[in-house]
Amino acid sequence: MIDVRVELPLPRFTLRVEVRLGAGVTAIMGPSGSGKTSFLEALAGLRRQARGLIALDGSTWLHSSKGIALPPEARRVGYVPQDAGLFPHLTALGNVGFGARGEVSAVETAIDTLEIRGLLHRYPTSLSGGEKQRVALARALATRPRLLLLDEPLASVDVALRERVLPYLVRIRDEWSVPCVYVTHNVGEALALAERLVLFRDGHVEAQGPPLELLGAPGVTRAAESGIENLLAGRVVAHDANGGVTRVQLDGGPSVSIPLVPERPTGARVTVAIRAEDLLVAVEPVRGLSARNVYPARVIAIERTGVDVTLRCALTDAGPDAAWLARVTPSAVEALGLTTGSTVWLAVKSHSVRLV
Amino acid sequence: MAALSTLLILPLGVAAALALARYQGPGKGAVETVLSLPLVLPPTAVGLVLLELLSRRAPLGAWLAARGLEVVFTWKAVLLATAVMSFPLLVRSARTAFEEVDPRLLGIARTLGCGPVSAFFRVTLPLAWRGVLAGTVLAFSRALGEFGATVMVAGNIPGKTQTLALAIFHDNQIGRDDRALVLAGVTATLAFAALWLTEWITRRRARRAHA
Repeated sequence: MIDVRVELPLPRFTLRVEVRLGAGVTAIMGPSGSGKTSFLEALAGLRRQARGLIALDGSTWLHSSKGIALPPEARRVGYVPQDAGLFPHLTALGNVGFGARGEVSAVETAIDTLEIRGLLHRYPTSLSGGEKQRVALARALATRPRLLLLDEPLASVDVALRERVLPYLVRIRDEWSVPCVYVTHNVGEALALAERLVLFRDGHVEAQGPPLELLGAPGVTRAAESGIENLLAGRVVAHDANGGVTRVQLDGGPSVSIPLVPERPTGARVTVAIRAEDLLVAVEPVRGLSARNVYPARVIAIERTGVDVTLRCALTDAGPDAAWLARVTPSAVEALGLTTGSTVWLAVKSHSVRLV
Repeated sequence: MAALSTLLILPLGVAAALALARYQGPGKGAVETVLSLPLVLPPTAVGLVLLELLSRRAPLGAWLAARGLEVVFTWKAVLLATAVMSFPLLVRSARTAFEEVDPRLLGIARTLGCGPVSAFFRVTLPLAWRGVLAGTVLAFSRALGEFGATVMVAGNIPGKTQTLALAIFHDNQIGRDDRALVLAGVTATLAFAALWLTEWITRRRARRAHA
């Protein structure tokens, strides 16, 4: 458990953050310039103007009123910036071993965790974005840090690569019991990794709590900002290898088919995401459609959102709170004669239901 | 003598360059200007200033003389003159190199357990050494060819304060152009060797880093 209460004057505002970092991953999200990176730097000891208190089990990194402010080298944090920040004059091995103070076992374990043994003799200029991030993660882990600080480690990596690096982050979380602060702009990453989510705005904590609660809550605009309106928690119930689908039973709701994910065992907790524009809306029972997922529902609200219309729909098979958002054009509303209370069928193809 | 003066200014120059690269407060411009003055002033003017400062009539010179340290018209004056004249070249080149080192890398080195000194030797210097080396070679070449300031403050005493550059002028003046030419050849060889060596090391390292 790490208690953090820091104040740091920044050009536009004073950063004031009070959080408690437990085991596992704490994700930090917020608009650009809301102080996320500065907060990480304050934790790392790289901001000497930071005031307040940072207390871990058994040691105090910062206690301004007592005049305690440990320099970064005495804090043992593993810091990975957005662009990996590898030392260009050293090979991957030189980078990973940089801070390891002769602790061979930690270096070896870190190399194995990130599967970078084949890259060790190469210089950073010849590594791809994803490889650089893995080397940087290994470098941070090799010091056996007491706190891991990751600043958008996947932001500079393209989408396909993101999918390949993410499992390593899951692995670090599960195999290295080190508390981790994870700054991200990506809802999927926050949901996949974090136990807790802290939302920053203009240097203060706007909200904190379990990620799904915070992001999926109606009225929380941030999920919509991310482009994913429907975030649904559930549990894997079956794999159909021949059919190429995995069934996910949603909490308090129907089940959905998603493209086969054999690596998620039956019973595993998952979160699926459906974009509002991927939901098809029909006013009659749908038949002969390729979409695997069709649900009867009732329109409970019609909201004009810019040029589009968002339908808030309560699923017949789900509890009353489980509203799905579907986006349609105004002409579709007119053509289908949709009003509040209309009965509709929502359809979505498996490939539009993504695991996050 | 040029090599010795270069050795002398290397740590000082690197420290000054580092300070200038990192320090952003007031007075930076003034310090930079003063340090660069020897580049723009006529060398004889710099020599004159040094001479005035170090003569027995001046407080500094008197203070040194009282401690038995005679500078003017000795080899120490040569050393001092060449050092002062070549110092700005080293500082300018090294400063640019230090400024190009991403300060965030230093922050990362710190989180990885390096103290500030260790971070300098393990990160800053390895990344900036090319600029430092280039500056050192420039400073060395300048020291080798320095004439004006040296002749003012150290005189031209054969076997005592006569540098290569001074000897070339001296030989030419007394009609021994043959000897002057030989000496010119020597300086050319030295300068060429230094430059070529720099180039060679720099390239070899560059290739390795991109292999």
